[in-house]
Amino acid sequence: MTKVVIDPITRIEGHLRITCVVENGKVTDAWNTATLFRGFEIFMKNRDPKGIWQFAQRICGVCPTPHAFNSLKAVETALGVDKVSDSARLVRNMMEACQIGYDHILWFYQLNGFDYVNVPDALNAKAATPGLKAVQDQVKAVVDSGQLGPFANMYWDHPGYKLTPELNLEVTAHYLQALGVQQLANDAATMLGGRYPMIHNYVPGGVVQMPSIETIEFYKSNMAQVKDFIDTVMVPDLLAVAPFYLDLATYGQGVGNFLTWGVLDEKSQDPYDRLFPRGGIFDGKLELQKVDPDQTRQFTKTSYYGDDVGAGKHPLDVGQEPIQFTQLPPIEGEGLPQGKYDWTQATRYGDQNRPMEVGPLAQMLVAYLSGRPEAKTLVDSTLAAVGHAGDPMVLVSNLGRLAARVLKAKINADNALRWADDLLANIGGGDTTVYNELDYSRDGTGKGGWDAPRGALCHYTRIKDGKIDTYAAVPPSNWNLSPRDDSGKRGPVEEALVGTPVVDPAKPLEILRTVHTFDP
Amino acid sequence: MEHEEMSLFPGLSRRDFLKTCGALAGLIGLSGPMAVPKVAEALEQLAKRPAVVWSLFQECLGCSVNLLQSRKPAPANLILQQISLNYHEAVMAAAGDQAEKSFNDTVNSGDFYYIVEGAIATTPKEAITIHGKTAADIVTSTYKKAKATICIGSCSCYGNIQAAAPNPTGAKGVGDFLRQDAGIPDAVVINSPRCPGNADDTVAILLYVLVNKKLPELDSIGRPKFLFGVTVHDNCERRGHFDNGEFVQVFGDEGSDKGWCLYKVGCKGPVTYAPCPKTRWNGQHGWPVTSGGPCIGCAEPDFWDKLTPFYDKAPGFHIPGDITPAQIGVGLGALTAVGIGAHFIGQAATGRLFKGGPVEGKEEEAGPKEGGK
Ligand code: SF4
Ligand code: SF4
Repeated sequence: MTKVVIDPITRIEGHLRITCVVENGKVTDAWNTATLFRGFEIFMKNRDPKGIWQFAQRICGVCPTPHAFNSLKAVETALGVDKVSDSARLVRNMMEACQIGYDHILWFYQLNGFDYVNVPDALNAKAATPGLKAVQDQVKAVVDSGQLGPFANMYWDHPGYKLTPELNLEVTAHYLQALGVQQLANDAATMLGGRYPMIHNYVPGGVVQMPSIETIEFYKSNMAQVKDFIDTVMVPDLLAVAPFYLDLATYGQGVGNFLTWGVLDEKSQDPYDRLFPRGGIFDGKLELQKVDPDQTRQFTKTSYYGDDVGAGKHPLDVGQEPIQFTQLPPIEGEGLPQGKYDWTQATRYGDQNRPMEVGPLAQMLVAYLSGRPEAKTLVDSTLAAVGHAGDPMVLVSNLGRLAARVLKAKINADNALRWADDLLANIGGGDTTVYNELDYSRDGTGKGGWDAPRGALCHYTRIKDGKIDTYAAVPPSNWNLSPRDDSGKRGPVEEALVGTPVVDPAKPLEILRTVHTFDP
Repeated sequence: MEHEEMSLFPGLSRRDFLKTCGALAGLIGLSGPMAVPKVAEALEQLAKRPAVVWSLFQECLGCSVNLLQSRKPAPANLILQQISLNYHEAVMAAAGDQAEKSFNDTVNSGDFYYIVEGAIATTPKEAITIHGKTAADIVTSTYKKAKATICIGSCSCYGNIQAAAPNPTGAKGVGDFLRQDAGIPDAVVINSPRCPGNADDTVAILLYVLVNKKLPELDSIGRPKFLFGVTVHDNCERRGHFDNGEFVQVFGDEGSDKGWCLYKVGCKGPVTYAPCPKTRWNGQHGWPVTSGGPCIGCAEPDFWDKLTPFYDKAPGFHIPGDITPAQIGVGLGALTAVGIGAHFIGQAATGRLFKGGPVEGKEEEAGPKEGGK
């Protein structure tokens, strides 16, 4: 048996250690440990409900917008308001479209790219265009300088890198180009929200103002360019790279349960009628089920909280105290995590306490099974392209997770202009209400349920006497990076790691790949 | 898109390079005919790209995300051509032991600048660990070897959100931690607060240090004076509306559409020292107030406790609501009693301020009471 520890897992948001046991070239057991604790649910208590979303969006600087949205929604529903004005809905959708657009581009190129693209090998390519030659010269300048910077010490000699030098060069060029394209989406978010990350135009009850026509046109122009990049660079890159890595379809299957609360409201503001609708898939059976955020349960026997703090309770009844920190076994040596090993609670769904995979794969599968035409067309054509027409189960793998994010980015970008056009139509028709003041004298319990780019995200709150009495946030990583629950069942990433091949335990590239497909 | 169209990288033309130098010179407060050549020369003379180690502690990655929004230089240019970003967990290719090697190789060389994003946990220190080491231990030993330590974002400067009451992890800014807990009473770090830390600040401070080969002049809480010397309110483009008593009363009202002052819906611009209105954000496409939402004071220490509720009027700053125009005529003594800035008083003295100015009775007329459109 070989113990493999990767700490830090890089190119993610957050702090993560992965511990694996490797036997006969395969992972046979795995543990994930979030190595950061901040205590949001503790310091969000007793605050003013109207401004609590400003706290909430600091949970994640990569995806502040859906955290902000969830917080607004939790407060609104606690105070008895289920819907905002149609124009407020559209402004929030536009913000979210920017968020998803930038995030999935960043994830595909900046966070995942180095797992598949061998940058130094780009030097061996015959550069087909002057632009590619220029990129190659710059890579050469970095390599020749002896200061490899962010490229240093990677497993570049690992046999798992399969692309041709030409493709390595091409995708490296797109990596650099993508840095500019993500700015286009974030500039649009900045025109609407004042800056990015950490926006300023949200408020419970709507948004703070109707964007100017100039701002809406700016958004349209930028998102059209984002869409163009996704259509002409990112989707072709996926299709060019995937054939070299078809082995990714053979591992990383995970727990076979999928959950999404949905994201991007249509006019009805019904979560089952979203561009990416709400829904669940259980036990690997591709049948769509309704799901309820109040069926979320948390366990803490293996987390740094008292055993009975979780015990299957609803997130609002769990809280984050008390802290029972115990030292992890050292990186060196044989010791494996035992007992408590994670700051994350084990998050499970429903009576059977199922671990649930969340993220673009869940979102795409649910959209597909819900019969959303955008998702059906894209998934069917992708399945046909990889020779698996009519068999969406083949997507349940590392390869499927990679593909799902790209397809989702495309659907998001294809619809981004629709929100803006509908808003312009509202303005034209005189329907310009963007804000309705809430009644903060009420008490109540509310919840969000609106996915982050990385998957199911729900905030819950109890409001009492005009203050936040209790607040709980269950982000996608709480699902995907759940530790073992009280019955010993592994979390989704832990489960997906089991079976991952490891050619060289000193260079665990394949483990990184599996973890990164979840975009933690 | 054609590769030929790609202008971010590789490299800048000479013209663009000099333009960048000009922008940077402006940012770090150099002016005059020698400013651009001085910056250009300093950049060109760097035989080696300055090595940078960037630690992430109790953070949300927002500061790094904003760094990716940098324009002059663009991020690829900054990361690969201007500096050598040897360690940044969200950017670097290597992970685990190999990432740790990158960290150790650079830190042990002693030839690097240290940037910190995120706060330091003290109770327990293990609330943040990387490669089995606590942030507290990492920051202490790395600070000692770095040529300069720059704290980007309010978390590393002052603890920020995780330090909000009751501060469950005893989170602290790097400077305070080093001075109070790590036995380095004379520790000096450059604080570049705001939440997120602003990409242009990061670049400007790095450039300042590289070009001038010394730390910028700092205020009493470690902020470079060249960036954080004035309040948001003093440079705000809505200031004229404030002075005229034209306020947004309710979000979405007529004043919202007209871009009136956000003071009455909670703007903390008057009590916040930051360059937002001047430098703006994300390629200068906006800053918080341009969205129609109030400034929350994110550059100020402990703003989560001291400047909340966010939609209440800025504490410690009052427009002279209880004073009638007639009383104003009597003397300025009453004004100083309400704790407003010298700038404000100056305007009052010249009579500009109360030309239909911000007096409670008056301002009610300035905007419609019922908003919610
Ligand atoms: S300063 Fe703000 S944006 Fe930066 S890491 Fe801290 S919370 Fe995130
Ligand atoms: S109160 Fe805010 S919006 Fe009004 S002028 Fe000052 S900074 Fe600008």
